[in-house]
Amino acid sequence: MKDSENLIDSNDFNIRYTTQSDEPYLKKWLEDPEVAKGFSFALEEERDEFLKIWMGYVRFKCSLTATYKEVPCGIATLFLMPYVKLIHQSMGYLVVDSLFRRKRVGTSLVRNLDHLAKNYFKLERLHFELFGETPLEPLLEKLNYKKLFTQQKYVKEGSSYLPRIVLEKVFKDGQ
Amino acid sequence: MVNKEINIRVSREEDANYLFSWLNDPEVLPWFPLDNAREIEDAIRIWLSYREIGAAFTICLNDIPVGMAVIYLHRYKKLRHQSLFAIILDKNFRSQGLGSKLMHHVIEAAKKNFGLEILHLEVYEGNPAKSLYQRLGFKEYGRQDCFLKEKNGIYRNKINMELEL
Repeated sequence: MKDSENLIDSNDFNIRYTTQSDEPYLKKWLEDPEVAKGFSFALEEERDEFLKIWMGYVRFKCSLTATYKEVPCGIATLFLMPYVKLIHQSMGYLVVDSLFRRKRVGTSLVRNLDHLAKNYFKLERLHFELFGETPLEPLLEKLNYKKLFTQQKYVKEGSSYLPRIVLEKVFKDGQ
Repeated sequence: MVNKEINIRVSREEDANYLFSWLNDPEVLPWFPLDNAREIEDAIRIWLSYREIGAAFTICLNDIPVGMAVIYLHRYKKLRHQSLFAIILDKNFRSQGLGSKLMHHVIEAAKKNFGLEILHLEVYEGNPAKSLYQRLGFKEYGRQDCFLKEKNGIYRNKINMELEL
Protein backbone atom coordinates (compact mmCIF):
# COMPACT_ATOMS: atom_id res chain seq x y z
CA MET A 1 0.00 0.00 0.00
CA LYS A 2 1.39 3.39 -0.99
CA ASP A 3 1.15 6.41 1.28
CA SER A 4 -0.83 8.33 -1.28
CA GLU A 5 -3.38 5.59 -1.71
CA ASN A 6 -6.94 6.28 -0.66
CA LEU A 7 -7.54 3.18 1.33
CA ILE A 8 -11.31 3.40 1.12
CA ASP A 9 -11.17 2.91 -2.65
CA SER A 10 -9.49 -0.43 -2.14
CA ASN A 11 -11.45 -3.67 -2.33
CA ASP A 12 -9.53 -4.77 0.74
CA PHE A 13 -11.09 -2.01 2.85
CA ASN A 14 -14.25 -2.68 4.80
CA ILE A 15 -16.31 -1.26 7.62
CA ARG A 16 -18.22 -3.58 9.90
CA TYR A 17 -19.65 -3.60 13.41
CA THR A 18 -17.02 -3.77 16.12
CA THR A 19 -16.68 -7.10 17.90
CA GLN A 20 -15.10 -7.96 21.23
CA SER A 21 -12.24 -9.54 19.29
CA ASP A 22 -11.20 -6.00 18.20
CA GLU A 23 -10.26 -5.08 21.77
CA PRO A 24 -6.51 -5.93 21.45
CA TYR A 25 -6.28 -3.54 18.48
CA LEU A 26 -8.00 -0.71 20.31
CA LYS A 27 -5.78 -1.35 23.31
CA LYS A 28 -2.67 -1.21 21.14
CA TRP A 29 -3.74 2.07 19.53
CA LEU A 30 -4.58 3.67 22.87
CA GLU A 31 -1.15 2.67 24.16
CA ASP A 32 0.45 4.91 21.52
CA PRO A 33 1.56 8.05 23.44
CA GLU A 34 0.61 10.26 20.49
CA VAL A 35 -2.91 8.81 20.49
CA ALA A 36 -3.17 9.08 24.27
CA LYS A 37 -2.69 12.85 23.99
CA GLY A 38 -6.11 13.02 22.37
CA PHE A 39 -7.83 11.35 25.31
CA SER A 40 -8.38 12.16 28.96
CA PHE A 41 -6.50 9.19 30.40
CA ALA A 42 -2.85 9.39 31.37
CA LEU A 43 -1.99 6.43 33.56
CA GLU A 44 -2.05 2.79 32.53
CA GLU A 45 -4.93 1.95 34.86
CA GLU A 46 -6.89 4.93 33.55
CA ARG A 47 -6.32 3.79 29.98
CA ASP A 48 -7.46 0.27 30.83
CA GLU A 49 -10.60 1.63 32.47
CA PHE A 50 -11.33 3.82 29.45
CA LEU A 51 -10.80 0.84 27.16
CA LYS A 52 -13.27 -1.18 29.22
CA ILE A 53 -15.86 1.60 29.00
CA TRP A 54 -15.30 1.93 25.24
CA MET A 55 -15.64 -1.78 24.60
CA GLY A 56 -18.74 -1.81 26.81
CA TYR A 57 -20.62 0.01 24.03
CA VAL A 58 -19.87 -2.70 21.47
CA ARG A 59 -22.81 -4.83 22.55
CA PHE A 60 -25.20 -2.05 21.52
CA LYS A 61 -24.02 -2.24 17.88
CA CYS A 62 -23.06 1.42 18.05
CA SER A 63 -19.41 0.87 17.18
CA LEU A 64 -17.79 0.46 13.77
CA THR A 65 -14.44 -1.04 12.87
CA ALA A 66 -12.55 -0.25 9.69
CA THR A 67 -10.53 -3.17 8.36
CA TYR A 68 -7.85 -3.55 5.72
CA LYS A 69 -7.38 -7.10 4.50
CA GLU A 70 -9.69 -8.04 7.38
CA VAL A 71 -7.35 -6.58 9.99
CA PRO A 72 -8.75 -3.71 12.09
CA CYS A 73 -7.22 -0.31 11.31
CA GLY A 74 -9.61 2.04 13.11
CA ILE A 75 -12.65 2.19 15.37
CA ALA A 76 -15.41 4.78 15.77
CA THR A 77 -18.00 4.49 18.48
CA LEU A 78 -21.10 6.25 19.73
CA PHE A 79 -20.94 6.62 23.50
CA LEU A 80 -24.71 6.39 23.86
CA MET A 81 -26.33 8.35 26.67
CA PRO A 82 -27.95 6.32 29.45
CA TYR A 83 -30.62 8.84 30.48
CA VAL A 84 -33.98 9.29 28.73
CA LYS A 85 -33.66 13.07 28.30
CA LEU A 86 -30.25 12.67 26.67
CA ILE A 87 -30.72 9.74 24.34
CA HIS A 88 -31.32 12.02 21.33
CA GLN A 89 -27.65 13.01 21.31
CA SER A 90 -24.32 11.32 21.83
CA MET A 91 -20.56 11.71 21.92
CA GLY A 92 -18.48 10.02 19.25
CA TYR A 93 -14.96 8.66 19.72
CA LEU A 94 -12.54 7.73 16.98
CA VAL A 95 -9.09 6.21 16.77
CA VAL A 96 -7.13 5.18 13.68
CA ASP A 97 -4.02 3.02 13.60
CA SER A 98 -1.05 5.36 13.08
CA LEU A 99 0.00 3.33 10.01
CA PHE A 100 -3.33 4.08 8.36
CA ARG A 101 -3.53 7.83 8.84
CA ARG A 102 -4.15 10.21 5.92
CA LYS A 103 -5.72 7.40 3.92
CA ARG A 104 -9.29 8.55 4.55
CA VAL A 105 -9.94 5.80 7.09
CA GLY A 106 -11.03 8.40 9.66
CA THR A 107 -13.24 10.15 7.11
CA SER A 108 -14.91 6.92 6.15
CA LEU A 109 -15.43 5.92 9.78
CA VAL A 110 -16.98 9.27 10.73
CA ARG A 111 -19.26 9.23 7.65
CA ASN A 112 -20.45 5.75 8.56
CA LEU A 113 -20.83 6.68 12.21
CA ASP A 114 -22.96 9.68 11.18
CA HIS A 115 -25.15 7.33 9.17
CA LEU A 116 -25.46 4.90 12.06
CA ALA A 117 -26.26 7.73 14.46
CA LYS A 118 -28.87 9.35 12.26
CA ASN A 119 -30.59 6.38 10.69
CA TYR A 120 -30.32 3.56 13.22
CA PHE A 121 -30.18 5.33 16.56
CA LYS A 122 -32.27 8.30 15.36
CA LEU A 123 -29.86 10.69 17.03
CA GLU A 124 -30.48 14.37 16.46
CA ARG A 125 -27.00 15.58 17.38
CA LEU A 126 -23.56 14.02 17.49
CA HIS A 127 -20.59 15.52 19.31
CA PHE A 128 -16.87 14.94 19.34
CA GLU A 129 -14.58 16.28 22.04
CA LEU A 130 -10.98 17.06 21.18
CA PHE A 131 -8.12 18.04 23.45
CA GLY A 132 -5.90 20.71 21.94
CA GLU A 133 -4.90 20.73 18.31
CA THR A 134 -5.51 17.45 16.56
CA PRO A 135 -5.84 16.39 12.90
CA LEU A 136 -9.32 15.22 13.77
CA GLU A 137 -10.58 18.80 13.95
CA PRO A 138 -10.14 19.66 10.22
CA LEU A 139 -11.44 16.20 9.33
CA LEU A 140 -14.62 16.81 11.32
CA GLU A 141 -15.04 20.32 9.96
CA LYS A 142 -14.74 18.95 6.45
CA LEU A 143 -17.61 16.63 7.34
CA ASN A 144 -19.75 19.59 8.45
CA TYR A 145 -19.14 19.43 12.17
CA LYS A 146 -19.25 22.89 13.73
CA LYS A 147 -17.24 24.04 16.70
CA LEU A 148 -19.63 24.42 19.60
CA PHE A 149 -17.39 25.71 22.38
CA THR A 150 -13.91 25.61 23.81
CA GLN A 151 -13.28 24.86 27.46
CA GLN A 152 -9.89 26.35 28.25
CA LYS A 153 -7.47 24.61 30.63
CA TYR A 154 -9.51 21.41 30.61
CA VAL A 155 -6.46 19.14 30.46
CA LYS A 156 -3.31 19.68 32.51
CA GLU A 157 -0.06 17.96 31.72
CA GLY A 158 2.76 19.08 33.96
CA SER A 159 2.39 22.83 34.07
CA SER A 160 0.79 23.22 30.67
CA TYR A 161 -2.87 23.14 29.74
CA LEU A 162 -4.90 22.02 26.76
CA PRO A 163 -8.42 23.12 25.89
CA ARG A 164 -11.35 20.82 25.32
CA ILE A 165 -13.01 21.59 22.02
CA VAL A 166 -16.50 20.27 21.40
CA LEU A 167 -17.76 19.94 17.83
CA GLU A 168 -21.28 19.10 16.84
CA LYS A 169 -23.24 17.92 13.85
CA VAL A 170 -26.97 18.49 13.87
CA PHE A 171 -29.06 15.85 12.11
CA LYS A 172 -32.38 17.25 13.28
CA ASP A 173 -32.75 20.70 14.77
CA GLY A 174 -35.28 20.71 17.57
CA GLN A 175 -35.28 24.51 17.94
CA MET B 1 -33.48 33.05 59.62
CA VAL B 2 -33.60 34.20 63.25
CA ASN B 3 -32.91 31.47 65.84
CA LYS B 4 -32.08 28.97 63.16
CA GLU B 5 -28.78 27.21 63.30
CA ILE B 6 -27.14 26.66 59.93
CA ASN B 7 -24.41 24.15 59.48
CA ILE B 8 -22.72 22.49 56.54
CA ARG B 9 -21.33 18.99 56.85
CA VAL B 10 -20.20 16.15 54.63
CA SER B 11 -23.26 14.34 53.33
CA ARG B 12 -24.48 11.11 54.90
CA GLU B 13 -26.18 8.05 53.46
CA GLU B 14 -29.44 9.03 55.13
CA ASP B 15 -29.50 12.34 53.22
CA ALA B 16 -30.49 10.32 50.14
CA ASN B 17 -34.17 10.53 51.04
CA TYR B 18 -34.06 14.32 51.08
CA LEU B 19 -32.16 14.42 47.81
CA PHE B 20 -34.69 12.09 46.23
CA SER B 21 -37.64 14.20 47.33
CA TRP B 22 -36.03 17.41 46.04
CA LEU B 23 -35.06 15.92 42.67
CA ASN B 24 -38.37 14.13 42.23
CA ASP B 25 -40.29 17.41 42.53
CA PRO B 26 -41.97 18.17 39.17
CA GLU B 27 -40.88 21.81 39.49
CA VAL B 28 -37.23 20.83 39.99
CA LEU B 29 -36.74 17.80 37.76
CA PRO B 30 -36.85 19.81 34.50
CA TRP B 31 -33.57 21.44 35.52
CA PHE B 32 -31.78 18.10 35.76
CA PRO B 33 -31.02 15.52 33.05
CA LEU B 34 -33.13 12.96 34.89
CA ASP B 35 -36.51 11.61 33.94
CA ASN B 36 -37.75 8.95 36.33
CA ALA B 37 -37.24 7.37 39.75
CA ARG B 38 -34.72 4.84 38.47
CA GLU B 39 -32.56 7.57 36.96
CA ILE B 40 -32.89 9.73 40.07
CA GLU B 41 -31.81 6.82 42.27
CA ASP B 42 -28.85 6.16 39.98
CA ALA B 43 -27.82 9.82 40.10
CA ILE B 44 -28.14 9.86 43.90
CA ARG B 45 -25.98 6.74 44.19
CA ILE B 46 -23.25 8.46 42.15
CA TRP B 47 -23.73 11.79 43.99
CA LEU B 48 -23.45 10.23 47.44
CA SER B 49 -20.45 8.10 46.49
CA TYR B 50 -18.47 11.37 46.64
CA ARG B 51 -19.20 11.74 50.37
CA GLU B 52 -16.63 9.00 50.98
CA ILE B 53 -13.92 11.41 49.83
CA GLY B 54 -15.52 14.41 51.49
CA ALA B 55 -16.75 15.95 48.26
CA ALA B 56 -20.51 15.86 48.90
CA PHE B 57 -21.96 18.43 51.27
CA THR B 58 -25.26 18.94 53.05
CA ILE B 59 -26.47 22.24 54.44
CA CYS B 60 -28.78 21.86 57.44
CA LEU B 61 -31.12 24.16 59.30
CA ASN B 62 -31.42 23.00 62.89
CA ASP B 63 -29.89 19.70 61.77
CA ILE B 64 -32.49 19.16 59.04
CA PRO B 65 -31.03 18.92 55.51
CA VAL B 66 -32.24 21.72 53.24
CA GLY B 67 -29.72 21.55 50.44
CA MET B 68 -26.85 19.55 49.03
CA ALA B 69 -23.89 19.99 46.71
CA VAL B 70 -21.35 17.67 45.18
CA ILE B 71 -17.98 18.13 43.53
CA TYR B 72 -17.62 15.40 40.92
CA LEU B 73 -13.86 15.05 41.35
CA HIS B 74 -12.15 13.57 38.31
CA ARG B 75 -10.20 10.41 38.88
CA TYR B 76 -8.07 10.87 35.78
CA LYS B 77 -4.74 12.57 36.48
CA LYS B 78 -4.89 15.03 33.57
CA LEU B 79 -8.29 16.30 34.70
CA ARG B 80 -7.84 16.45 38.46
CA HIS B 81 -7.21 20.21 38.53
CA GLN B 82 -10.81 20.97 37.50
CA SER B 83 -14.18 19.60 38.35
CA LEU B 84 -17.87 19.76 37.65
CA PHE B 85 -20.18 20.37 40.58
CA ALA B 86 -23.91 20.29 41.22
CA ILE B 87 -26.13 21.89 43.83
CA ILE B 88 -29.75 21.57 44.90
CA LEU B 89 -31.79 23.40 47.51
CA ASP B 90 -35.12 22.49 49.05
CA LYS B 91 -37.52 24.83 47.24
CA ASN B 92 -39.05 25.88 50.56
CA PHE B 93 -35.74 27.36 51.66
CA ARG B 94 -34.75 29.36 48.60
CA SER B 95 -33.96 33.09 48.63
CA GLN B 96 -32.64 32.92 52.19
CA GLY B 97 -28.95 32.98 51.39
CA LEU B 98 -28.54 29.25 51.93
CA GLY B 99 -27.61 28.46 48.34
CA SER B 100 -25.00 31.18 48.39
CA LYS B 101 -23.63 29.90 51.71
CA LEU B 102 -23.40 26.36 50.37
CA MET B 103 -21.74 27.58 47.17
CA HIS B 104 -19.10 29.50 49.13
CA HIS B 105 -18.44 26.36 51.16
CA VAL B 106 -18.05 24.31 47.96
CA ILE B 107 -15.68 26.86 46.44
CA GLU B 108 -13.52 26.91 49.58
CA ALA B 109 -13.47 23.12 49.79
CA ALA B 110 -12.60 22.90 46.10
CA LYS B 111 -9.58 25.12 46.64
CA LYS B 112 -8.37 24.04 50.06
CA ASN B 113 -9.34 20.39 50.31
CA PHE B 114 -8.92 19.30 46.72
CA GLY B 115 -6.51 21.84 45.22
CA LEU B 116 -8.81 22.53 42.31
CA GLU B 117 -8.02 25.37 39.93
CA ILE B 118 -11.33 25.47 38.11
CA LEU B 119 -14.92 24.65 39.06
CA HIS B 120 -17.47 24.31 36.32
CA LEU B 121 -21.16 23.70 36.17
CA GLU B 122 -24.01 22.99 33.80
CA VAL B 123 -27.22 24.95 34.05
CA TYR B 124 -30.22 24.79 31.75
CA GLU B 125 -31.49 27.95 30.11
CA GLY B 126 -34.25 29.53 32.16
CA ASN B 127 -33.08 28.12 35.48
CA PRO B 128 -33.13 31.02 37.98
CA ALA B 129 -30.07 29.54 39.71
CA LYS B 130 -27.96 30.98 36.87
CA SER B 131 -28.06 34.44 38.46
CA LEU B 132 -26.60 33.01 41.69
CA TYR B 133 -23.74 31.47 39.73
CA GLN B 134 -23.11 34.77 37.94
CA ARG B 135 -23.06 36.66 41.26
CA LEU B 136 -20.40 34.23 42.49
CA GLY B 137 -18.23 34.97 39.46
CA PHE B 138 -19.01 32.02 37.19
CA LYS B 139 -18.58 32.90 33.52
CA GLU B 140 -20.32 31.26 30.60
CA TYR B 141 -17.94 29.54 28.20
CA GLY B 142 -20.27 27.59 25.96
CA ARG B 143 -23.79 26.51 25.14
CA GLN B 144 -25.29 23.32 23.83
CA ASP B 145 -28.63 23.84 22.15
CA CYS B 146 -31.28 21.17 22.62
CA PHE B 147 -29.13 19.25 25.09
CA LEU B 148 -32.15 17.94 27.00
CA LYS B 149 -35.26 16.61 25.36
CA GLU B 150 -38.31 16.12 27.52
CA LYS B 151 -40.87 13.43 26.70
CA ASN B 152 -43.28 16.14 25.55
CA GLY B 153 -40.74 17.21 22.94
CA ILE B 154 -39.56 20.34 24.74
CA TYR B 155 -35.85 20.95 24.41
CA ARG B 156 -33.60 22.70 26.92
CA ASN B 157 -30.33 24.40 26.09
CA LYS B 158 -27.38 23.74 28.37
CA ILE B 159 -25.19 26.61 29.49
CA ASN B 160 -21.67 25.72 30.60
CA MET B 161 -20.09 28.02 33.18
CA GLU B 162 -16.80 28.03 35.02
CA LEU B 163 -14.95 29.79 37.80
CA GLU B 164 -11.18 30.03 38.10
CA LEU B 165 -10.38 29.58 41.77
